Amino acid sequence: MATGNMKDIKRRIKSVSSTRQITKAMELVASSKLRKAKQRSESGRPYFEAQYALLAEIASVKKDFKTIFTEPREVKNRLFIVIAGDRGLAGGFNSNILKAVAAAHKNDAVKPKIIAIGRKAVEYFDKRGYEVVAKYPYFAEKAKTAHCMDIAQIAVDLFAVGEVDEVELFYTAFVSPLVQTPECAKLLPIANIGAGTGEDLGLINYDPSPEAVFDRVLPKFLMSMISCAVVESFASEQGARRTAMESATDNADEMIANLSLSYNRARQEKITNEITEIVSGANALS
Amino acid sequence: MTPFKLQIITPDGVFFDGMTENVIVRTTVGDKGILARHEPYVAAITISKFKVKIDGNFRYGAISSGVIKVSKEKTVILAQSCEWADEIDVDRAVKAKQVAESRITEYEKANDQKNLDIAEFKLKRALNRIEASKMR
Repeated sequence: MATGNMKDIKRRIKSVSSTRQITKAMELVASSKLRKAKQRSESGRPYFEAQYALLAEIASVKKDFKTIFTEPREVKNRLFIVIAGDRGLAGGFNSNILKAVAAAHKNDAVKPKIIAIGRKAVEYFDKRGYEVVAKYPYFAEKAKTAHCMDIAQIAVDLFAVGEVDEVELFYTAFVSPLVQTPECAKLLPIANIGAGTGEDLGLINYDPSPEAVFDRVLPKFLMSMISCAVVESFASEQGARRTAMESATDNADEMIANLSLSYNRARQEKITNEITEIVSGANALS
Repeated sequence: MTPFKLQIITPDGVFFDGMTENVIVRTTVGDKGILARHEPYVAAITISKFKVKIDGNFRYGAISSGVIKVSKEKTVILAQSCEWADEIDVDRAVKAKQVAESRITEYEKANDQKNLDIAEFKLKRALNRIEASKMR
């Protein structure tokens, strides 16, 4: 009995350790990608902040400042820009963000229009019959600002012609390498911008007019918001994958330890058996 | 000339942060030169060349659409992308120009206005970079 059992255990140890090798490698890859993504998100931040400050300033110039992008209207159709990952095996990363999207529109009469970023998002919304305006699979890792500009432009265009009345962005915020939370940010109409920075802003000369500059800056602002969110989601994905793979590696280690224990036990038992047989055989002879 | 603080910020990071004596950019309403103690001013920048005077010498560069904001403490240029003339990869720009041109003829045939606009935008950028690279 012992020999057959031993062979089984040995085979299992082998398979678990080869899985462990894979998960370990994925963990290392994810942590190096995470480091790079963090750098990228830091280098994009000054642009985003300067842009936000500028928009806020413009909006606070005049009390009666109005463009179609700041006016809230009755919400009939919504546009969701959803950023998910390209690959699975990242713990709850993809399902969390997609669940958040589903929860956000469950009371709506009409399904929202979708711009899907990341292969997992594309697959999810295609399968469930959403109207997917644009798809960007395999996008996050080398997202260029030009592509984010396309997305922002699509959103601005749809909003400007009145096909959608609200644009929201779903991404995963990177809280720490261990904690990532799905977030939703309203992009359009821009509300509460320019709560007043306290400076004396009335004297700035806008060429040709504050509204014209605002409308020109707006798509770029959305673009930088989207690209920040893409980079951050990517960092979150890597963080989630790293954690998932780390625990998978730990589990594999534990399994290997348990299996080798039972392997050794079986081996010991076999030896004891053999010795007992030899001894009893010798006893019978003498 | 009195120097003043200039920052050029792109989505890829801070491109330039230092003192300058004069900045000349092309806004949607025409060329605009900024000297020290300029009045607070904001305008959108089109795809164009720009020049910055540092220690008495002009340095040229290519910029693709952005905004210039002049305030008391500093001048900030927010650009979608920005390059110094002597750092432009001319081969890449020429290639981009050819690609854009072939796309334009393709989309014109297909009557695809949206992609045509994008291709035209790319062509403008490539031409701007090629021209700027000659001004090193």
